Amino acid sequence: MIGGLEFSMPDLVKNVPQLAFPHMRMFHVNAVAVGWLSMGYVGSIFYMVPNLCKTKLWSERLGNMTMWAWNLVLVGAFCTLVNGNTEGREYAELGAILDVLVAVALVLVALNIYMTILNRRVKKLYVTLWYFLGSLFWFPLVWIIGQRTFVALPGLNDAIVGWFYGHNILGMWFTTVGVGMMYYLLPRLTQAPLYSHGLSMLGFWGIALFYAPTGTHHITQSPVPEWLKAIAIISSIFLLVPVLTVLTNFFMTMKGRWGQAVTDLPLRFAVTSCMFYLVTCVQGPFQATRWVNWYLHFTQWVVGHAHLALLGTFSFILTSAIYYSLPKLTGKEFYSQGLIRAHYWLKFLGFLLMMTSLTIAGLIQSAGWAMGIPVDQWGLQIRPYWFFRGISGIMIVLGQLLFAYNVWKTLYTKPAESVAKAAKAAEVKA
Amino acid sequence: MHSYRLGAIGIVTTFFIIIFSTVLLPMVLFNPTDKEHRSNDYTKVPSNVADAARGRKIYVREGCFYCHTQFTRLQDRGYGPLVKAGDFIWETPHQLGTARTGPDLTNEGGRMASEWQKAHLIQPRAVKPGSIMPSFSYLSERDMNDLVAYLQCLGNRREVKDFVEAPDEYRTTTPAGVALHNRKTVDTNASASANAGRGIYTQNCAVCHGLEGYGNGPNALSLEKKPPNFSRPYYKQYSDEFWFYRTSEGVVGTRMPRWAETLTEEQRWYLVAYLKTLPQDQEVTINNVNQVNKVEDIRLPKLSNQQYEPHHGGHGHQTEGDNMSPSEHQMPQPSAPSSSEGTNSSTTTGGAATKEGGH
Repeated sequence: MIGGLEFSMPDLVKNVPQLAFPHMRMFHVNAVAVGWLSMGYVGSIFYMVPNLCKTKLWSERLGNMTMWAWNLVLVGAFCTLVNGNTEGREYAELGAILDVLVAVALVLVALNIYMTILNRRVKKLYVTLWYFLGSLFWFPLVWIIGQRTFVALPGLNDAIVGWFYGHNILGMWFTTVGVGMMYYLLPRLTQAPLYSHGLSMLGFWGIALFYAPTGTHHITQSPVPEWLKAIAIISSIFLLVPVLTVLTNFFMTMKGRWGQAVTDLPLRFAVTSCMFYLVTCVQGPFQATRWVNWYLHFTQWVVGHAHLALLGTFSFILTSAIYYSLPKLTGKEFYSQGLIRAHYWLKFLGFLLMMTSLTIAGLIQSAGWAMGIPVDQWGLQIRPYWFFRGISGIMIVLGQLLFAYNVWKTLYTKPAESVAKAAKAAEVKA
Repeated sequence: MHSYRLGAIGIVTTFFIIIFSTVLLPMVLFNPTDKEHRSNDYTKVPSNVADAARGRKIYVREGCFYCHTQFTRLQDRGYGPLVKAGDFIWETPHQLGTARTGPDLTNEGGRMASEWQKAHLIQPRAVKPGSIMPSFSYLSERDMNDLVAYLQCLGNRREVKDFVEAPDEYRTTTPAGVALHNRKTVDTNASASANAGRGIYTQNCAVCHGLEGYGNGPNALSLEKKPPNFSRPYYKQYSDEFWFYRTSEGVVGTRMPRWAETLTEEQRWYLVAYLKTLPQDQEVTINNVNQVNKVEDIRLPKLSNQQYEPHHGGHGHQTEGDNMSPSEHQMPQPSAPSSSEGTNSSTTTGGAATKEGGH
């Protein structure tokens, strides 16, 4: 699994400047979604679930197998997408073979985790496990439905299913696993009990109920049925309920312990992630409503929102998880604390710059569309923002490279085989 | 055991309810048909010219949909007719798109000549300064032609039958528009109102638009974008709402101010009443869609990559290249049969061009 994480790092948040080719964009989306976040998530799940269940992973061999399957997918994705071998469906570009491979890997991961949880030695399920259980059940299904590999639906139905998938890869996988990780990390890092178990359950069921139907809000102004749009928009707004309960829970857990974020670097990543989660989830329902969507749709604002969720929130929490779990797994401290700090600031400031420039660019675009000004006129106005966005991309990539270097040095300062043994031992011990 | 069995049942049922309502139900209930035959017809390009269906695959392969959308919205102006659900029934995978970094392509077919489209693919900045589209000059000749054919099929020549209308918030289709009309006390058809509006016009508008609205006010001399001639028949089809909208919000890209900032609603309605009375000249203008010049039917562009790539500019010394100068291609070629244009081999096209050059 560590190999999996390692592999994913170079492609993390590969921020292509706007002027690069669409192929880069395809690979960027897939590398972030399948490569970085999913792989990191599965890695964290494999670490956290045995920890929470106080038992071993059901099958180590299966775990390693899924790791290789996943890496194979990523290599395949790189080779195909960069050459334009795509299915032409946003977020579901991967070809048929890779689709199946991912589905198989996911089902195996789910099986592995379910069996681990069945063999657990604690009676009560912690909320993180709820989230993981839910995600691992939902996501393989969402993936299989969403890929539409072997079916050809008529255009708009294709779009409906496509956005069901497109939003739920976020909602039923990135969000639920990410939030599950926050539930795990915050109490561990602050050494404080979770504020309320009841509240966490409310958040979980809220998200389970309200997230899945929201996909159609991506195509609010296309001629799809109005009732479907209504369901999507209403559930988007209802999403505020689970989000606010979850965040109340986190912030109350943090109460009186905010100061720890100054010295504790993984915690700092986690807290930043929570803050961005708040912003992104307030933004989401707001821009899903018809009248806001009318103005903001199709612009860089939405791109900013997507980065806020995937980069600001879930990438940060994942980094936090890695910084937390890697020393525990290997039994070694991180190679350099300074590099972690540099990583944090590069990523944080880079992201703020990116978010600001994308949002402003989006507002300019919105104004252009709303006033009916041709693209080639306002297109020039947003060039400076794209420039800043490029700079922010470089900052973030630089941060991630430092991160990768740090992880590499941490892992391989001693002979490699002892590290592998230590990792295994740590997993067993945990 | 029971603690998570209940939960598991909950997760499973919630998920399937949602799948049912948002994935399966639309499949059953939402089956649009295309009775008016508005959907894109890729077969109308003769097979010896180019393969538009293959062009669609190129469009997908090159990821055009990341920056170009393919559905027009109610609020989009100048992108052709609004799409209907039936337009998309053959479109799979759908190319609706999510972001408009470039213009919408729903009704792109027939807007520009194929030569323009091809030149734009090879070097976007050559034909559209300020464009940020990447160059697709690496596409093969065949790919490029198929892609152009696909673009020319988009929209299936759906036409806009009506002139542009004022935005919704000025019309009675929205609450804002209804409120506007309820507040209106001026009878815009009465000559007394026109008389009242005349004073407002002379004080505020005549300096650019001229006393009779010919667009010949003294200030017009210094304006790069000249004021329009209101005596053209085109302006006679303006509705009250449209006049009101124009005076209120000004005209983007020109010096026309937003009069809503300085004039009251009542004053602007008086102004509308006056503007409607301006005389009409007998000038010939286009006031009907059928009078619009249309580009010719889809044919193969006779361009070479070298022409539009600046860094390859110096190589066009062959006789073939000379025959294909851009000026020649701006000339209409009504007599050229589509079959000769359709061939992809450079020898045939070169030969045809030589013949035409001889005339």
